[in-house]
Amino acid sequence: MRSLHSRLLLAASLMLAGFLGATGLALDKAFRVSAEASMQDRLQSYIYALLAATDEDRRGRMIPPEDLPEPRFSKLDSGLYALVAGEDGTPIWHSASLTGRDLAIVDPQAPGARYFHRRRLAGMELYVINYGVAWVDHAGTEGWYTFVVAEDASAFEAEIEGFRTTLWGWLGAMAVALLLAQGLILRWGLRPLRTVAADLQRIEQGRVERLDGTYPKELAGLTSNINSLIEHRSAAQIRYRNSLDDLAHSLKTPLAILQSFFEEGADKCGQDRTTEREQVMRMDEIIRHQLQRAAVSGRAALAPPVPVAPVVERLVHSLDKVYRDKQVQVRLNLDPQGVFHGDEADLMEVLGNVLDNAYKYSDGRVRITARSDVNPEGRHALEISVEDDGRGIEAEKIDAVLQRGRRMDETVPGHGIGLSIANEIIKVYAGKLDIGSSDLGGAVVRIRFGG
Amino acid sequence: MRILIVEDETHLREQLRDRLRANGYVVDVAADGEEGLHYGEQYPLDLAVIDIGLPKLSGIELIRRLRSSEKHFPILILTARGNWQDKVEGLETGADDYLVKPFRFEELQARLNALLRRASGWPKAVLDCGPISLDTRSQSVSVGGRPVALTAFEYRVLECLMLHAGQVVSKADLTENIYDQDFDRDSNVLEVFIGRLRRKLDPDNELRPIETLRGRGYRFSPDVKSG
Repeated sequence: MRSLHSRLLLAASLMLAGFLGATGLALDKAFRVSAEASMQDRLQSYIYALLAATDEDRRGRMIPPEDLPEPRFSKLDSGLYALVAGEDGTPIWHSASLTGRDLAIVDPQAPGARYFHRRRLAGMELYVINYGVAWVDHAGTEGWYTFVVAEDASAFEAEIEGFRTTLWGWLGAMAVALLLAQGLILRWGLRPLRTVAADLQRIEQGRVERLDGTYPKELAGLTSNINSLIEHRSAAQIRYRNSLDDLAHSLKTPLAILQSFFEEGADKCGQDRTTEREQVMRMDEIIRHQLQRAAVSGRAALAPPVPVAPVVERLVHSLDKVYRDKQVQVRLNLDPQGVFHGDEADLMEVLGNVLDNAYKYSDGRVRITARSDVNPEGRHALEISVEDDGRGIEAEKIDAVLQRGRRMDETVPGHGIGLSIANEIIKVYAGKLDIGSSDLGGAVVRIRFGG
Repeated sequence: MRILIVEDETHLREQLRDRLRANGYVVDVAADGEEGLHYGEQYPLDLAVIDIGLPKLSGIELIRRLRSSEKHFPILILTARGNWQDKVEGLETGADDYLVKPFRFEELQARLNALLRRASGWPKAVLDCGPISLDTRSQSVSVGGRPVALTAFEYRVLECLMLHAGQVVSKADLTENIYDQDFDRDSNVLEVFIGRLRRKLDPDNELRPIETLRGRGYRFSPDVKSG
């Protein structure tokens, strides 16, 4: 459940289903209760009609009804039945509709008492009402009778069923309509978020530099903050690098003077200033190393990827100029899709140091290969290898070459501090630098980012 | 050979000036970008050493302006931080080489020699003209494999002539190359140097490497070069 849209849709759908279901059940129940109440009223009114149709003989004794209030009482198996029972429950009269049927529907009642219920008899569902009546004849003798009316429940059930079909049909249609409306509202309501996400992606792809769309006011704070973050980050990075430049300038120029001073001292007085000169060089290496480390910006969020090929080409063009005397033949094999997810200055520093090393120690041939691929987890990986045909780097010296400048007591003749700086930057990006032997005859420096 | 140094740090600027002068170069110095631009545009320079971090006009901007005003002499940039963006930017703008501070003077010297030689169309560090061989790295000269001892000024004169072998180099240009602007240009010291060079390189007067073209200047003989 990682999408906001599906979360909201699921929650709202569950709510809707619960609400409509409960509404349906409540309405169903209420309808049934009210239908049963009206059934009881109707059966009771039949009882009263039967009582009204009851007559008495000359002595005042009861004569069961003859002129019945409802034609269905007179029709055989009509589903509406009437019966009058004596005090012990023995039927003394029944309606024509009950002829030939033996339905145990009598529950003798005391005068004035009423018993309404539903029961199943002879394969029929019946609503039955029993009503107790006291009958006093002229002689003052009181007789107790129970008037019973029963009605087949199937018509009632059909009515309930009809109601249910209508009810659930409407509720279902409403649910579908509401779900659709809700889906549309969510889509419309969340569209600004999707726009922001798409705009951020365009920033990451380097197509735009900031969030320029119009966003609803709930998001405006977020987007303007992202914009100022992007601006602040690049401004801060520039300011930071400028201060490092100033620091480098103010430290290195005095070192250059000292260097020259010790050289001159040796020239003029014949004094051996080797120790002083070595110390100056060592200070220089430490400063270079530490400043370079401080300048690495690392992978920044919302930064566009840097295409590798142009950076390599610029460096090769520059190095061709510097090493013009060597006439180095460079073979480029660069994947045009190869991009570096990080800062261009960092990539240039890594490749500048590695390529400079290759030019410096080659015998005239350098090969640069850049490949990009996507690993099984979907992360982009970039692999760059730089080969030369020089003497190569002996396996036991590789560690020392990569450590150079980190410790004060380290000096490795032959290779400069460049590879060690490149290695440090690569580590910041969680990448890897390997040194091996190339089939060109010299060293190969393999760099891998990501994956 | 006339070199311009544009460096804002006084000590370093003066050290470089003194040491390059001691090695026989004519050196102009400028302390900021604007002054550097003035020298670069007004004087016939053979090379410029420009610090990237300059006041008034940055080193990069200075190089851009020099190149856009059709100045094609080689330029070496000095950079303090030595990061590749600076180097690449400098080289793309028109610099020919870079040096990261601090540096050994010998390293600077070697780079300057290489740039001067390349600018004259010599692809290698050793200029061979027949039996005469001049190594710009060690600043040594030999004839037929036998080393010849030259003073710094003699060396500069020979280097200038050999770099332009086959071409006429005017006296004014040669003087410009070996003297600072405040030197006395009217002296006939140049003719003395040429005479000494001829004797040292060709004691038996067989090779005749340096021709005198009356009223025009001197020429290092292309025949010697081919032979």
